[in-house]
Amino acid sequence: MNQSWVARRVRRSFPLSAAVLALGAQLSAASAEDVIRFGAPLPITGALAPEAVKQQQGYDLWAEQANKAGGVSVGGKKYKVQIVYTDYQSNTPRAVQATEQMISQDNVNFMFGAFGSGAAKAASTVSEKYKVPTLAATASSSQVYDQGYKYLFGTFTPNDTLTTPLTKIIKTKVPDVKKVAILARNDLFPLAIAQEMEKSAKAEGYEVVYSEKYSIGTLDHSAALSQIKSLAPQWIFVTGYTNDLLLVRKQMVDQQMKAPVVTMIAGPAYQEFIDALGPAAENVSSAAWWHPAEQYDGKDIFGTTANFVKLFKAKYNSEPDYGQASAALCGALFQIAIEKAGSLDRDKVRDELAKLDVVTFFGPVKFGANGQINSLDPPVFQIQGGKPVVLFPQAIKQGDLKIGVN
Amino acid sequence: MQAAQILINALVLGCLYACIAIGFSLVWGVLNVINLIHGSFIVLGAYLAFGLYNALHIPPWYAVIVAAPLFFVLGYLLQRLVLNRVITAPVLVTLTLTFGLDLILNNAMIYFFKADYRKLTLTPSLGSVSIFDVVVPVDRLIATAAALALTGLLYLLLRRSRIGRAIVAVRLDRDAAVLMGVNVPSIYAIAFGLGAALAGCAGVLMALIFPISPLTSSAYLGKAFVVCVLGGLGSVSGALAGGLLLALVEGVGSTFLGPSHATTLSFVLLIIFLVLRPQGLVGRKGFE
Amino acid sequence: MTRSNIALLVLIAAVAALPLFGGAYALRLGTIACLYAVLALSWNVVGGLAGYPSFATAAFFGYGAYAAGVLLGHGWPLWAAIAFATLSAFVAAAALGAVLLRLRGHYFAIASLSLAEVLRELVNNATDLTGGGMGLNIPLASGAGIMAEATFFFFAMWGVLLATALMAIIVGGSKLGFALACIRQNETASSMVGLNTTLYKAAAFGLSACFVSAAGGIYAAWVHYIDPSDVFDVLYSVKPIVMALMGGLGSPLGVACGAFLYLGLEEVVWRNYIQIHTGVLGLLIVLLLLFLPHGLSSLRPDRLWRRAKHV
Repeated sequence: MNQSWVARRVRRSFPLSAAVLALGAQLSAASAEDVIRFGAPLPITGALAPEAVKQQQGYDLWAEQANKAGGVSVGGKKYKVQIVYTDYQSNTPRAVQATEQMISQDNVNFMFGAFGSGAAKAASTVSEKYKVPTLAATASSSQVYDQGYKYLFGTFTPNDTLTTPLTKIIKTKVPDVKKVAILARNDLFPLAIAQEMEKSAKAEGYEVVYSEKYSIGTLDHSAALSQIKSLAPQWIFVTGYTNDLLLVRKQMVDQQMKAPVVTMIAGPAYQEFIDALGPAAENVSSAAWWHPAEQYDGKDIFGTTANFVKLFKAKYNSEPDYGQASAALCGALFQIAIEKAGSLDRDKVRDELAKLDVVTFFGPVKFGANGQINSLDPPVFQIQGGKPVVLFPQAIKQGDLKIGVN
Repeated sequence: MQAAQILINALVLGCLYACIAIGFSLVWGVLNVINLIHGSFIVLGAYLAFGLYNALHIPPWYAVIVAAPLFFVLGYLLQRLVLNRVITAPVLVTLTLTFGLDLILNNAMIYFFKADYRKLTLTPSLGSVSIFDVVVPVDRLIATAAALALTGLLYLLLRRSRIGRAIVAVRLDRDAAVLMGVNVPSIYAIAFGLGAALAGCAGVLMALIFPISPLTSSAYLGKAFVVCVLGGLGSVSGALAGGLLLALVEGVGSTFLGPSHATTLSFVLLIIFLVLRPQGLVGRKGFE
Repeated sequence: MTRSNIALLVLIAAVAALPLFGGAYALRLGTIACLYAVLALSWNVVGGLAGYPSFATAAFFGYGAYAAGVLLGHGWPLWAAIAFATLSAFVAAAALGAVLLRLRGHYFAIASLSLAEVLRELVNNATDLTGGGMGLNIPLASGAGIMAEATFFFFAMWGVLLATALMAIIVGGSKLGFALACIRQNETASSMVGLNTTLYKAAAFGLSACFVSAAGGIYAAWVHYIDPSDVFDVLYSVKPIVMALMGGLGSPLGVACGAFLYLGLEEVVWRNYIQIHTGVLGLLIVLLLLFLPHGLSSLRPDRLWRRAKHV
């Protein structure tokens, strides 16, 4: 191998690759006349790809509605909305890189957070440094907001707002429950919410007989489930993403496990979950951050919850779930804040977001001091007859808890 | 009886693991190529079963008959046209090459099929059987039976047919096989095709039990790795032994240490075996 | 000091001038470029010189990230955390190396791959120490501005790169390098003539681990939040191999250039082929291995027409 030849050849290609990089940067920068650019880093490829699709649906629906109405009003002038998407490959370091790229190279005005608590948290460091207001649509763990950042806001309430009402309902409706078993996916959100569940359960005096986590990508849960079965708990609580919960539920049925209460977060909110399981989904309870059955009369571009659901159905031919709704909400909130601020100045918009106290199609929106929303009561629901039925809060209650899951 | 349940679970799962690993083991043992595309082949087979069931209502146990020749051809061509060029190259090259090919196949699957998890739900559902307090789901039983049948078929093929004898000969000693008049490049291609066919059939069977998504391919590959190292390369009995051992370790480990440690345990076991007994439970020493 | 080694040092010095030309994003890319070069150069010691196909790079990277991350969380200053990560990685890897490097070929490859898996699961389960699946928060080193922080981390990574390059150059010209070359060519014969193969292999494995860990530690401090699946990602093991193959195994200059070129390609592909960039990366790897077995030096006209033969 002639080393000096290699050295020469490769050294010549280095400026080429630098030039290619520079060209690439040029290609993605666009003119910013009368357009407000929002950066949306999404895990378009990789393990979280299905979630990215939902987020994109929410953002696009909002952008379409906003542009249909002529655009967002900034101090009297109408600006069109443009959303810039990048793929961070379900890889957190890439999410951070994508965020920096969009802020410094693509010149976006505002940012939507990356998907999920982990990536949103990592990327928020960048947006905080650049002082770009960021709305995270899917970051619920309070750990995301514990860094004292001023420019990060989130539209999911903390995890304990899901577990506490749930525990209270079970305590009142199903007094036979004494023992709880918890099985969590070893990942930021599912583990965090399982930890909250354990706290809530202990606070209500339940005995937590089993509390374990399973690795990401586990194909077979039969050993864990056999063990849970042998402990005979009355309440089985499982966390994970849709595919994990599908697998666990199916293996529960295979092993003929029965319990008065089975709760799963965060699959049952999705139609795919109900469709895939069929009768096995019956009476599985869950909690989510939003439900299409809610009836809020919002001051945002979508107005009533029913109107949002109608628009979503018309565009995508399916019922919206909380992920898509939250994404659309983030867009709508930016719109309200920008219109109130009357300018695109990032600090002014940030202050308007911090002061927000408005009812939207998603519910009442007010952010706490750490940036996370604290004004919502997330709905607790149960799948009855193949449909989700809301059990809490009282205002939108559709039915009562049914006991007994086969 | 919990112990009995754990044991039965492990036995059933072990046969499934063996099914996943047998094709991988064959390719590694005969061609000395670690086929990192194996996991993606399995997922592709699962998609085939899914598609056939939803479109034509062909249940997976018949879909196997369709899958086997299709995957055989795919594997044969892949080896003949691509892998054969680097067959004499060092481990590094073949390993990285199959890694690259796997990236392509996996990305293609995500692109065309989307990453959402599909589930092949049989209507009507098969339910479970219960024998003395031990519950076994019927679909797993069927998959296990089919898996055993497949491994049995492979065993017969390797022992009784001419091609099978040639494959074993190449595995034992490549140079001697050449001297005996065996067309080694052709055998390589056939063995790889066979490995791919076994992967595809395993995928069809897995579709009965596990959710289907391109994202599961690395999980299958990981299991195949561990089974091969534990059991020994290139032999049917090795795959079975390795599969059963792995399933037992995972089941017992999960019960006593918690499910999160089950994966760690399987990889620690892998390393221990590699260091102390690289030929596996059943393999013969001297295979590099 | 051969011409190519001098060229390598010149290249690295040139890279140090990046802050004069670029803004924060360019510095981000520059930091990643230095990181990739560190990984590739470190891998080359065990993979290129000794001929053992190691897939353990991710294990050491993740180890360094978590070791430094946990210490930073306990209030250690950055330099101390990195120093600890580096030294402990060297010792641990040398010890592991003595055991694992008894395996050859495929078995070694798998063992090294499993190392990353085992470490990842251990980290995943030690929730109290490392946050487990919820990830680890690393406190912000300082409240400094964007450019100041970007420049700081760029030079920190650059410093590790310089150290790694010097290590690679020194090893290449020393008795250790010679011993590794002998081991690569024929290990049995080498040990028969009295070479202490275990010692040299362990040293090589240790050296291949320590700077990777340092880079991991700096990475953790840079991004402020790490979780097991990110830092123990198998791609951190595979990419250095591809980079080394691109540049040509064995020569530190080639490997470093391969790393920079790979980054350039990765950026271009990422920006322009969103849906299929992993597939494009795979295609790149396949084409590289099928048609350019000696890295870029295969593009010499007299080699192009000869059938690919491997070293």
